[in-house]
Amino acid sequence: MITSTTPPAADPRSRLRPARYGIALALAALVIVALIVSSILNYVFLDTIPGRTSLYGLLAVALITLGTFILVRTFNRDRAMRRKHLIRAGVLIGLGVLLWLLVIDVFLFTQSAGPGVAAICALACLPTTAFGLFVVRRMDRNHKEPWRLVLVAAAWGAIVATSLVVWGETIWEQSAQHALVPGPGLDTSLAFMAGILEELAKGLAVLMLFLIMRNEFDDVVDGIVYGAAVGLGFNFLESISYMTNLYSVFSAEGAGWVAAGIQWYGRQVLGLFFGHATYTAFIGAGVGIARQLPSVRQKVMAIVAGFIIAIAGHFAWDAWATIFPIQNTLFGLVEIHLRTLIMTGPFTAGVIALLIFGIRYEGQNLLDQMRKEAATASGAILPDEVPILASPWQRLRQRLQALSRQGLPGYFRVSRLQTAQLDLAMERWHRERKEIDTPLEAEQQLRDRVMQLRHWIAA
Amino acid sequence: MSSVTYDQLRTLYRTLLVFATVGVVILAVGLVEFAYFERPGEGSGVKAHIVGVYQFDPDTRQPVGPDRSEFHRTEEFAAVVDWSSIPSNMIVDARWYNSFGSIEGQVGPAAPTELADKSVIPVEVPSGLHYVLPGRYTFVVERLEDGVPVEVLGRRFVVVERS
Repeated sequence: MITSTTPPAADPRSRLRPARYGIALALAALVIVALIVSSILNYVFLDTIPGRTSLYGLLAVALITLGTFILVRTFNRDRAMRRKHLIRAGVLIGLGVLLWLLVIDVFLFTQSAGPGVAAICALACLPTTAFGLFVVRRMDRNHKEPWRLVLVAAAWGAIVATSLVVWGETIWEQSAQHALVPGPGLDTSLAFMAGILEELAKGLAVLMLFLIMRNEFDDVVDGIVYGAAVGLGFNFLESISYMTNLYSVFSAEGAGWVAAGIQWYGRQVLGLFFGHATYTAFIGAGVGIARQLPSVRQKVMAIVAGFIIAIAGHFAWDAWATIFPIQNTLFGLVEIHLRTLIMTGPFTAGVIALLIFGIRYEGQNLLDQMRKEAATASGAILPDEVPILASPWQRLRQRLQALSRQGLPGYFRVSRLQTAQLDLAMERWHRERKEIDTPLEAEQQLRDRVMQLRHWIAA
Repeated sequence: MSSVTYDQLRTLYRTLLVFATVGVVILAVGLVEFAYFERPGEGSGVKAHIVGVYQFDPDTRQPVGPDRSEFHRTEEFAAVVDWSSIPSNMIVDARWYNSFGSIEGQVGPAAPTELADKSVIPVEVPSGLHYVLPGRYTFVVERLEDGVPVEVLGRRFVVVERS
């Protein structure tokens, strides 16, 4: 039984938590079964390079799945157990990543372009993806998500989701190419394939985060952040895959790096926020809205709606992007940008609209809770601090003032205090809405933590 | 829960449902498009006889060597079709598709009797390139209706190696 956590996160007697974990475990089991069945079928009936990869990669995927599960749960445990579980998770994820890299390198990238090219492509995609994750996390202006969960989301998108779709898509593509008329009909089928399989695989990661880490999954804004992070992770690996493949196709003509560079620009610059990040952000938005809806029917509707928009957006791009002819002239460069803007722009605008509205909604409610907390005169939030905490710019100004007075340590102390105060307001908001399964003591411990940090700063 | 808060959440929820409705329309249009190009009930039962895929001599424009499924990228290759295996009242064509879905060689559309002297269908090297691109090539003999391919009468897959 969990008796002492900082702050205490789970109510050991909660009836909600075990049910959620049960669903999460069932989903994880389904994923594993799907992986095993599809990879064996792939290997037996296709016996291609991806077939072998899928079979040998199973162990890596299982290790990473188990490791991330332990990792995200680690922070809900008390301090005494935390280190032990962190080490366990680290070892499992490390082994999984190494094994996975080995399998991918040997059977996929080496096959097409060699490990050196694959490594260069990965290095080229790292800074852009890191920038994307930084921006996505910063979008949550009121209550930023912990880096560990944002990175876990991206890792799921990059490793688990891509592994899932490699197998599903191989089977679908092979079947379609053997059965359908080449041309628009086949292209439409493949667009449905990409939309359905890739969004389901990515959405599963968002759904798992929601089920396992609901305490860090507050609302629509968090959903968009996690969804976009999963999409960025997926886009990272897909970019490497396309870059290495096109390099190998065009290298004999002396245009390998040009082809890989065009892919890099299209996927890591132009499409960084427009493609996978946008689609999966819709799934996250659906899950985030469901998080706060009162009835089960509405929750299911919101999650399904998020998936439908994501699948439709992805399908529209894959099926109809070629409607816009790209001329082989200098104007073609303008057309490429216009095509992305016209085809994916409306979807990205939709996500931004939900995000802006979500931030306003979250901000107003946090302000309301901060005022109520200040009115209790507990000392955790003072009336004068409310307008500062409510404004990201004023919070930054306060941290910069601390920086000029006390240097970096002062900056980080004030930052920790502000975060703890916002955590408290968020906890109060969820409790008022009866959508939280942590005990009341958790709120008091958050209050105590704020007081402790305040004393540090005063000292 | 205050009414203001619930209204805000309801607005978010309804906005999401509106977006989802647009999504359903997009997917429905996709299904209609798929059904238009993959028309149900179009199976004629006819099978085109693809004699084989051979290395192609561009000077004599004739196939050489045995039937193969793998070629080096510096080799040219062509499919050979026995057009007499298809009823003469059909409109057909034959096409090569590369792994990107681009057409890289075609004869027809026409009646099979009009294509009798075009039984060798080579893959064309894309303009600006020295050789065909590596990857998986698909050769199909298709039946057309109103200018739209509606049925594949014969199909072969060929792999062009990278090195």
